[in-house]
Amino acid sequence: MKKIEARNIHKSFQELNVLQGIDLDVEEGEVIAVIGPSGSGKSTLLRCLNKLETINRGTIIIDGELLADTNSTGEVVYAPGDESRRIACKMGMVFQQFNLFPHMTVLQNLIEAPVQVQKRDRAEVIEEAKILLGKVGLSEKADVYPRKLSGGQQQRVAIARALAMKPSIMLFDEPTSSLDPELTGEVLRTMRELAEEKMTMVVVTHEMGFAREVATKVIFMADGRVQEQGRPEDIFTNPKNERLQAFLQTVLK
Amino acid sequence: MDYIISILPQMWLGTIETLKLFFITIVLSIPLGILLALARVSSLGSLRSAVGVYVWLLRGTPLMLQLLFVYYGLPFIPGIGIRMDDFQAAIFAFVLNYAAYFCEIFRAGIQAIPKGQYEAARTLGMNYVQTMRRIILPQVFRIILPPVSNETITLVKDTSLIYVLAMNDLLRTTRNLVQRDFSITPFLVAGVFYLLMTLVLTYGFDKLEKRFSKYD
Repeated sequence: MKKIEARNIHKSFQELNVLQGIDLDVEEGEVIAVIGPSGSGKSTLLRCLNKLETINRGTIIIDGELLADTNSTGEVVYAPGDESRRIACKMGMVFQQFNLFPHMTVLQNLIEAPVQVQKRDRAEVIEEAKILLGKVGLSEKADVYPRKLSGGQQQRVAIARALAMKPSIMLFDEPTSSLDPELTGEVLRTMRELAEEKMTMVVVTHEMGFAREVATKVIFMADGRVQEQGRPEDIFTNPKNERLQAFLQTVLK
Repeated sequence: MDYIISILPQMWLGTIETLKLFFITIVLSIPLGILLALARVSSLGSLRSAVGVYVWLLRGTPLMLQLLFVYYGLPFIPGIGIRMDDFQAAIFAFVLNYAAYFCEIFRAGIQAIPKGQYEAARTLGMNYVQTMRRIILPQVFRIILPPVSNETITLVKDTSLIYVLAMNDLLRTTRNLVQRDFSITPFLVAGVFYLLMTLVLTYGFDKLEKRFSKYD
């Protein structure tokens, strides 16, 4: 079953056409790596999927539910407020800047939305949150405030926080780009474990190693368009698109 | 010394009047200030500018003028003609005036919270009220404590402006004693009273700041 179905996505900021007709299909259990030069629209695409940005044209279907559609007059119609919030938070999101809540402990960060938004039983949520923290290797940090943690630890907490909502899809927006090189490994390891558990993932990344080894499909974007997509071995060893060839030459040198 | 003890009961009565005005103003103007600040950063342009004009008017004219206007002026405005007793008029003017200042403090605080906090809350499915109440405002409170502390201490002293409405607050009581007894001692005692009030506030805000800084 398709987890994400995005058709003909257009997005512009004032005069700048950031996305010019993107199609994206994500099957259950797929791990999609989105690569491309900066300014190519990768992050914007991700942010359009969960309505952090509103699109100017196109259709977005998440888990079989219509989030946004374009009517016959070319106007984009979103599902009503509560409804689109519910659909959008089927996708957990991990940001480049972590965006943990600094006034809450690690555990509070994890249980906040499940308790407040999903209205789940607090004690039960705490139990699950502790298990999640164990999974990302941070059990002993439950009562610590985020600022006391390293970047890598913060990002793993952010992943656990997103997972606490039991999302059916995880979106990663350059999750290791603001980390020191020696800290990216721990975050990538966590993401790799998630992929092995067959979590559906869309990852915007500059980590070519991760894209090559973990992704089931790689999408190369440039100038707001998908220039080439395919299995990682094809993309990395036999790129056809000129832009992709040039891009790989600069990042893999 | 005996003289000081003899005037304390009267000065205490004046202080109670001052404290009543102080607490009622704080309790009403801070929530009003928060609401105004939320309007000031809302996506509705007309709401934003309306609050902007309000803040400009209330911060741009003397509190004493506002006080006199509410008490002496409002009853004569055709169609409105609100007549308030002196205490009501004082509360009215002080709350409106201080709400304008608190609005600006909270606005600055809200705008200091990184966009990523809103985005994280949104991707976790939180609506506007949940985001503000659980994520944004708790962080804002920490940022705005020092300016709010400042404003509160100013308010303690600004309460003496009700002198012009002939209300028997601490300052007017003091002045009456000075005139009655031909002694300046009441002035000194009043000074000590004001200092004690601001000392308690300073101490209280210090405690609050320490409590909020635990997550740094």
